[in-house]
Amino acid sequence: MYGFEALTFNIHGGYLEAIVRGHRAGLLTAADYNNLCQCETLDDIKMHLSATEYGPYLQNEPSPLHTTTIVEKCTLKLVDEYKHMLCQATEPLSTFLEYITYGHMIDNVVLIVTGTLHERDVQELLEKCHPLGMFDSIATLAVAQNMRELYRLVLVDTPLAPYFSECITSEDLDDMNIEIMRNTLYKAYLEDFYKFCQKLGGATSEIMSDLLAFEADRRAVNITINSIGTELTRDDRRKLYSSFGLLYPYGHEELAVCEDIDQVRSVMEKYPPYQSIFSKLSYGESQMLDKAFYEEEVKRHCLAFEQQFHYGVFFAYMRLREQEIRNLMWISECVAQNQKSRVHDSVVFIF
Amino acid sequence: MAQQEEEDPHTQSSEIGEEEEEEENDAQIGERNGKRQSVEDRHALQFLDSLDDYLIQMNSLSVILRQGWLELASARHSMGASRVNGSMLNLKFHSASTLVRVTQDDDDSGVEKACFTLSKWASFDNGKNGFGEGKFREEKSDGPQLRHRGASPLSEIPEKTSPENGASLIVDDQVQKERLKSLRIFGTLVSPKLRTAQLSFETALEKLVEIANTRSTLLSAFDQVKDELEGTKG
Repeated sequence: MYGFEALTFNIHGGYLEAIVRGHRAGLLTAADYNNLCQCETLDDIKMHLSATEYGPYLQNEPSPLHTTTIVEKCTLKLVDEYKHMLCQATEPLSTFLEYITYGHMIDNVVLIVTGTLHERDVQELLEKCHPLGMFDSIATLAVAQNMRELYRLVLVDTPLAPYFSECITSEDLDDMNIEIMRNTLYKAYLEDFYKFCQKLGGATSEIMSDLLAFEADRRAVNITINSIGTELTRDDRRKLYSSFGLLYPYGHEELAVCEDIDQVRSVMEKYPPYQSIFSKLSYGESQMLDKAFYEEEVKRHCLAFEQQFHYGVFFAYMRLREQEIRNLMWISECVAQNQKSRVHDSVVFIF
Repeated sequence: MAQQEEEDPHTQSSEIGEEEEEEENDAQIGERNGKRQSVEDRHALQFLDSLDDYLIQMNSLSVILRQGWLELASARHSMGASRVNGSMLNLKFHSASTLVRVTQDDDDSGVEKACFTLSKWASFDNGKNGFGEGKFREEKSDGPQLRHRGASPLSEIPEKTSPENGASLIVDDQVQKERLKSLRIFGTLVSPKLRTAQLSFETALEKLVEIANTRSTLLSAFDQVKDELEGTKG
């Protein structure tokens, strides 16, 4: 029952909630970002990060550094923290934490399948996979020729198996099929996660419903914008939208027929939470849309920490760390390319 | 005296004739020198103009490439590193979508120089190009065909336009499809930032061909100036 979590939550979740709140305190601040934005080289960035929680992960990296190395090592830190929380968690928190990684699992599956289609070496592809999305039989994905084989040989024993029912065909895998598969899987995953959180009830259900609805709406907008000018039909586009969220169902109907960014804007401005996002953009512009969405996402995730005794803090922390890693990636790229004037184009401050 | 006087007019007239002839020769030599000088000046100016163009174009190329690389980083930031990385590049045999033709042309002075021509998105330009046709036909029959999911919104545009610009719009539509096809290695639903990066690198390629032509002109003008200087010293 909502409101009585305070009586029982700490029995099983108290320790881990304290751990995740401690981790949250280690997120980089605006002062850290200002120092990083003034770095001249990647070694300077490494030096500044050595004073943060990323220090132990970067200290042994030899020069010259590469931006991908910085991102990989920072991601390792997130993975270590996640694994520690997962091994300490009991049900239903452990299932909740596993749900957080299914998105990365889907990305890894698509990476391996696409790379195999392009005749890349499997080992090379495995190195590019996100560590949070790894599973035992992932290398076997390279053998599958179509989605039926993909499911039968590999994915039937993974948590993604239930999501495959909507996209199993015997057609050979090609670029369009893989893209449809990716988005269909992600849609099924989000809907399943949403239902799971609803079943948990209480503050977790309320907070996670809001966060997942935002995620679904953002996906819908991105799918719409990315499919403008492609061969994806309106019906196919509509099928990729999730069945929940603020935009469901009428916003989705309107987004499905949009042909340019201004039409997308006119649809989204009817919804007050998204009006503020699109008001930051000038007409015809979509370059800053990502940053506007990330800023709104960060705001909502920070608000999740204002309430106690719910699982939303774990989800919010993972997403905030991922945003922080994206920030570090962008800063590193701007420093490496000597384009520091553009560094604030995509950095989203968390605190 | 009278004989001398009789001889002097002849001498004087012959001297005058010789002087006139010398003056005429001098005038002709001067005119030839003047023409040669103007030709040398023209070659020198051509060399300096080419050098100026070359430096401006190199600077412009640097700006375009910087922009392209940053847009690619922005696309990677937006779509994720797992979608935009070197491992996505296709190692299957496929024909190049863009070709460069090198020919030997004569410039105004009749000197041979290399001339570079860019043929973009040649895979749809079968027949019009005249080189490498066989490979493109081979690519079309071997490669996996995109499953057709209905009319693209863009394909409606040529039907609505007037006949005068309908042909150019159909070509633009085909070029757009070829662009999207080449981006398919990163997925079919890619961020607009990746498409912008593609346009920047496409512009950079055009600029590179322009630079190659300018350099060819520059080297040709340099050779001419060098030959003239050596001729003058000899």
